[in-house]
Amino acid sequence: MAWVTGDVIITLVVAHLLASVAAAEVRNLKLSNGFLCVQSLLLSAIIASFAVISQNPTLYWWAGTTVLSKAILLPWILYHYMRRLPQVEVKPLVGFAASLIFLLIFLTAFYRFVHTYVEFIAPTTEALVEPARSNLAIAFAIFALGLYVVMARRDAVKIIIGLILLENGVHLSLVTLAPTMPETTVFGITSNVIVAAYLLLYLTEQIYQQFGTMDTMQLSSLKR
Amino acid sequence: MDTQPIIQVESILAVLVFLVPLAFALVIFLFGRISRVLREGAAFVGIFFTFLISVLIAQRILQGEVLTFWGMNFYVDGLSALMEILGSFVGVIVILYSLSYVVHHPRLGNLPERRLRMYYGLILLFLSMMNLTCATNSIIMLFVSLEATTLATAFLVTFYWNRDSLEAGYKYLLLVTVGVTFALLGLVLLYSASIPYLPRSRVLLLTELGRIASKIPGNIVLLSSALIIAGFGTKAGLVPFHAWLPDAHAEAPIPVSALLSGIVIKVGAYALARTITIFSPSFPAVVLFVAVLCSVSMLVGMMMALVQDDIKRMLAYSSISQIAYVVEGLGLGTYLGVYGGLFHLMNHTILKALLFLTAGALMWATGMRKISELAAQRRRMPITAFCFFVGALGISGVPPFNGFLSKFTLFLALAEQGLLWAAVIAVITGFLSIACFGRAAYQIFWTTPPEANEAKVGVVILEVPPTMWTGMIILAGVSILLGLYPQLVHPALDRATNIILRLLLGP
Repeated sequence: MAWVTGDVIITLVVAHLLASVAAAEVRNLKLSNGFLCVQSLLLSAIIASFAVISQNPTLYWWAGTTVLSKAILLPWILYHYMRRLPQVEVKPLVGFAASLIFLLIFLTAFYRFVHTYVEFIAPTTEALVEPARSNLAIAFAIFALGLYVVMARRDAVKIIIGLILLENGVHLSLVTLAPTMPETTVFGITSNVIVAAYLLLYLTEQIYQQFGTMDTMQLSSLKR
Repeated sequence: MDTQPIIQVESILAVLVFLVPLAFALVIFLFGRISRVLREGAAFVGIFFTFLISVLIAQRILQGEVLTFWGMNFYVDGLSALMEILGSFVGVIVILYSLSYVVHHPRLGNLPERRLRMYYGLILLFLSMMNLTCATNSIIMLFVSLEATTLATAFLVTFYWNRDSLEAGYKYLLLVTVGVTFALLGLVLLYSASIPYLPRSRVLLLTELGRIASKIPGNIVLLSSALIIAGFGTKAGLVPFHAWLPDAHAEAPIPVSALLSGIVIKVGAYALARTITIFSPSFPAVVLFVAVLCSVSMLVGMMMALVQDDIKRMLAYSSISQIAYVVEGLGLGTYLGVYGGLFHLMNHTILKALLFLTAGALMWATGMRKISELAAQRRRMPITAFCFFVGALGISGVPPFNGFLSKFTLFLALAEQGLLWAAVIAVITGFLSIACFGRAAYQIFWTTPPEANEAKVGVVILEVPPTMWTGMIILAGVSILLGLYPQLVHPALDRATNIILRLLLGP
C-alpha cells in the first residue's frame, strides 16, 4: 500500500471538512444525513490511512468500528426518525448564503490559526509534521463547526447533527493526539455519542408529536 | 497531615459497588412488569445493598487501605468512598419517598407500569454509572461513565412526559453532552501530552496524573484546564454553563430533583477534583480561573434564587450557588480548601435533598409550587415545617448547623490563599442565602392565611404519609448531628483530603 502518502491523507482530510460543511449547511435533512454518512466514511478512510503510514494495527480496529458505528448505525438511526419528522429543517436565523460565507471565512481563519500554533496543543513531535499537522487543524475546525451548528440553528434534528459533528472532530483529533489509546475507551466514547443522539432524537419525535414543532426557539416556555 | 501509610489491597468490593446496582437495574427492566416486588422491591433492595457495600468500603478505607481491582484500572479511595456512600444513602431515601410520591400520587392517577419500571430502573442505572465514575482510574473512562450518568438521568427528567418536562429533558441532555465533549477534548490533550511518560499499558491513570503533571508543558495544562473546567463545570452547573439546571431541576419529579441536585451535579465536582485539583499547586492561574468562575456562580445563582416564586426553581438556583462553594474549595488544592470543599459537598447533598423532599411534601399535599400560593394555605404539617427549617438554616450557613461549619472552613481556606476578595464574595452570598431562605420559610410557614381564603379552602391540609416523612426526618437528623458533632465525619474527610493531596504532591 505504498500509494498511501501524506498527500492522500491531506486530500481526504480536506474532503472530510467539505463533507462536514455540506452536512451542516444543506437544508434537506435526509441529504444532510447522507453527507454525514459520507463524512464518517471519510473519517474511517483517514484513520485507515494513518494506520498504513504509521504501521499501527490498532488504528485498523478504529477504522472498522467507525464504519460500523458512525457510517452505518448512526445514519440509520437518524433516517429512522427523519421519516416521521419534517424533511426540511426549520429556517435558521442566518440565511444560507450568509452562513456559508461566514463558515468559509471563519473555518479558513481558524484552520490557519491552529495550523500555525500546533505546538501549543500537541507536544509530540509526530503531531508537528504533515499530514498530522493539517489533520489536527482540521479536527479543531470541525469541532468549531459543530459548535456553530449547535448554537446557531433552530431545528432540533440539525442541532443533533451538530452534536455529532462536534464529536467527530474530537474523534479525528484522537488519531493524531492519542493513536495508542486502547480500543475499549474509543468504543466507550463512540457508544456514548450514539446513545445521546438516539435519546435526543426520541425526545425530538415526542416533542414533535405532541406540539407539532421542531423549532427550539419556540420551546422557550421555561426561559425565565 | 497524617503519615499513616496507604496499603493497596486488591478487592472485589471496588467493582461490586457498581455491578450490584447494574444487576438490579437489569432485573427491574426485564422482570419489573411481573410484580411490584420485582420493581419497587428490587429497587429498594438493590440500592440498600449498594449502601452496605459502600459502608464496607468506607470501613476498609478508614483502616488505611485503598481498594484496587484489575491491576490499577479500578481504584477506590476516600474521595470515591465518600461519593459512593452519599449517593446510595440519598438513593435509599429517594426510593422510599418515591413509593408514595410517584406510585400513589394523588393527582397523577395510576401511571402505566412501563413508566414506573423505567423510573426505578434508571435510578439504579444512574447510581451504577455514578459509582463507576468514582471507581474508575482511567482518565478517559472517567469521561465515558460521567456522560453515562447524564444519559441515564435524561428520561428521569422527562418522567411526566408533558411539554415542559420534554423540553427540559432535551435541553439537559443536549447542553450537558455538548459541554462534556469540551472536557473530553481537554482530557485528550492531557492524555497526548503524557504519552511519553506512560507505562506500556497506554492508559493514563488518574493516580499517575499527579506524578506526570509537572512534566506536561504549561500552555497545554492551561488550555486543557480551561476546556475541562468548562466541560465538567457544565455538569456541575456553574455559571455561565448552567442554562440546563433550573429547568431540569424544576420539571423533574421531586425525588429526581433531589437526586439531581444532591448527587448528579456532584459528579461534575468529583471529576473536577480528580483532574483540576492536581494542577492547582503549580499553576496559580488555574486557581484564579476557578475562583473567578465560582465567585460569579455563587453570586448570580443566589441572586436568581432570591427573585424566584417557584419553590423548585428557587432551590435549583440555590444549588448553582452552593456547588460553586464546593468547586472553589476543591480548586484551591490546599488541605483546608479540599477539606472544606468535601465537607460542603457532603452537607449540600444532605441539605438539598432534604429541602427538595420537603418542597415535594408541600407540593404533594397542596398541589401548588408557588411560594405565594403556598403561603395562603391552611396546613397542619409540623414534620414538614420542622424539616424545612432545618434545611433552610443549614444551607444558609447559620451556626450551629452543618452548613455553617463547611462554609466557614471555605472562608478560612480562601483567606489563607490570599484570595480575600473571593472570601468576601462568599460571605456576602452567605448573607444573601439567609435572606432567600428566610423569606421562603417566613412566607410559607409563618404568614397566617387571610380569612377569605380560609373560607374558600375550608379543609386543613394534613401531613404526608410516613414513607415520605421518614426519609425527611432521617436527613434532618443527620444534618443536625453533623452540625453538633462534626468530629463524627472528621476521620473520613481527613483521609479523603490527605489522599487527594498525596496524589498531587507525590508520596
